[in-house]
Amino acid sequence: MLLSIAWRNLWRNRNRSLLILVSVTVGLWAGTFIMAIYYGMGENRLRMAIEKEVSHLQIHHPRFSEDQEAVYCFPEAGVRRVLDTLSNTAAYALRTIGAGMLSNATGSRGILVAGIDPVAEDATRSLSGTVEEGAYLTESGRHPILLGRKLADKLRIPLKGKVVLTLLDTAGAMTAAAFRVQGIYETANAPLDERIVYVRKGDLDALLGTTGSAHEAAVLLQGEGEPVERVQTLLEERLPGLKVETWKQISPETALVISSLDTYNLIFIGIILLALSFGIINTMLMSVLDRMRELGVLMAVGMSRRRVFGMVLLETVLLTLAGVPSGLLLSFATIAWVGRTGIDLGNIAGDTLRDFGYETVIHPVMPTGSLADILVLVLLTATLSALYPAWKAISLRPVEAIRR
Amino acid sequence: MDTQPVMQAFGISKIYHPETIPVRALTDVDLRVNRGEFAALVGPSGSGKTTLLNIIGGLDEPTSGSIVVSGTDITSLSPAGKIDFRLYNIGFVFQSFNLIPVLTARENIEFIMLLQRIPRDERRRRVGELLDAVGLADKAEVRPAKLSGGQQQRVAVARALASKPQFVLADEPTANLDSHSAANLLDIMEKLNREEHITFLFSTHDQRVIDRARRVITLVDGRVADDRTLVKGAG
Repeated sequence: MLLSIAWRNLWRNRNRSLLILVSVTVGLWAGTFIMAIYYGMGENRLRMAIEKEVSHLQIHHPRFSEDQEAVYCFPEAGVRRVLDTLSNTAAYALRTIGAGMLSNATGSRGILVAGIDPVAEDATRSLSGTVEEGAYLTESGRHPILLGRKLADKLRIPLKGKVVLTLLDTAGAMTAAAFRVQGIYETANAPLDERIVYVRKGDLDALLGTTGSAHEAAVLLQGEGEPVERVQTLLEERLPGLKVETWKQISPETALVISSLDTYNLIFIGIILLALSFGIINTMLMSVLDRMRELGVLMAVGMSRRRVFGMVLLETVLLTLAGVPSGLLLSFATIAWVGRTGIDLGNIAGDTLRDFGYETVIHPVMPTGSLADILVLVLLTATLSALYPAWKAISLRPVEAIRR
Repeated sequence: MDTQPVMQAFGISKIYHPETIPVRALTDVDLRVNRGEFAALVGPSGSGKTTLLNIIGGLDEPTSGSIVVSGTDITSLSPAGKIDFRLYNIGFVFQSFNLIPVLTARENIEFIMLLQRIPRDERRRRVGELLDAVGLADKAEVRPAKLSGGQQQRVAVARALASKPQFVLADEPTANLDSHSAANLLDIMEKLNREEHITFLFSTHDQRVIDRARRVITLVDGRVADDRTLVKGAG
């Protein structure tokens, strides 16, 4: 009957109860939606980092990451053999990499030249899809090169324009060759677009003297949540003398960004819950103050303070629980809809997002684990917020309450 | 009538605001109410009737003195102990009925038994008996707002009796009732007193109540000025 009294008490002042219901609904919706946006951004950044930039794992000569000199390469064949036998590899690409200078009639820039196998590279990070103007690299043609949009714009290099790459070969001697711009690409990571140019691996190997070798092997694993660290250990065992790193080690900034998103998430949710809490305290306090006389009578006729306290808490929890389904329904509907269409921030913060390696269209994602967390947090907030009004109710002296 | 005391007050004094502007409400009140009495506490406004009733019911604390109800010194009980004691030993009827508005007549009565953890079947049976006793069996599922003042007060009497107390305290129970309702209510209470030997102590100004009481205790300025047992109304 306590449950029944609590439930009926809720509807004595419909407007007030509806106000809490709306607060809970909006609080839950806002909390869930903000979490979904942040998770969407995190997932976007992670997907970008793994699928478009660093892959799950990379293999290098141990000294290559420090010096990036052409001489720090490894034989292709041995690595290829090991990677071909790996069961959960989705794709891999072997690259020759050289740091050098790109110049044309307008000026020059320090760049990183990636010599790639166009087919393998496309399988590993869908590079062809990023070509906005011209065409992707093919086996035909002499010395084709792909430039990033930002670099091409800065040096005013047109499609089919000619550029000269100057690099140091494995002997440390300067070597240079002319390349013709076959395509201009643009990814969501503007800083990388400005820094990396792509040529065919064979062309770069010929220039650096690294034929039959590679500086980098990028490995994309199958599916989500692959045990990357386990594959890393396996590769380390099978490729002694080479350095095998996971995406977290290669791109610690991505791992940092994702963990920071969790923190921002908590802060936002904290603010929303605080607002919810004030709403509940205010409404429940009004509800208790309106019923002082009645609460006094309940205690006069034998209802213990513990039960009165429980009744006020129960009223709050019931009201919160009543608001939860509508909040969740609204959240699911919004996230499902916006998750499909995406939120295009291109016009508001497109360049800024690209500078930080994010796609401009954010697709909110709702991980189910977090949903349970929000539910628990909302209920906990509601219960904690009701403690003060409940305490106020039991601190009454029945005789004074009845006199009101 | 039994000569066994259901309530004894020893030297009850009550001073409000003792540290600021002291107001003496009761002075050294000694009183004994025996089992089965139908007594009225009368006196002018401000004479201390309600204060004494509240102290007897454990709702208020005396400044000095003690109250023993059914053998228990309730002035020595903790606030939680007093609530528990009231639940099992004292029934209250208030001037303004004070029913729980969200509960029906049946639920208002049953609620007390629920607090006592009485099994459902027994609760339902007793609620039926009490509603019959106060003549409201047909209003069982009606909420207080839909009942007249007299009907609400009858539900309040049934609620006061739900816990099977030996002692019922009624503060101005007829003050908000018309003559017909008041007479009807008093008939019910007299019948319960006569047949079930429930002790009633009223605080009242109402001559209709005084006329029915078999004992009239008069308070003046917080002291017992007169205490008369009458021969009328013995049934």
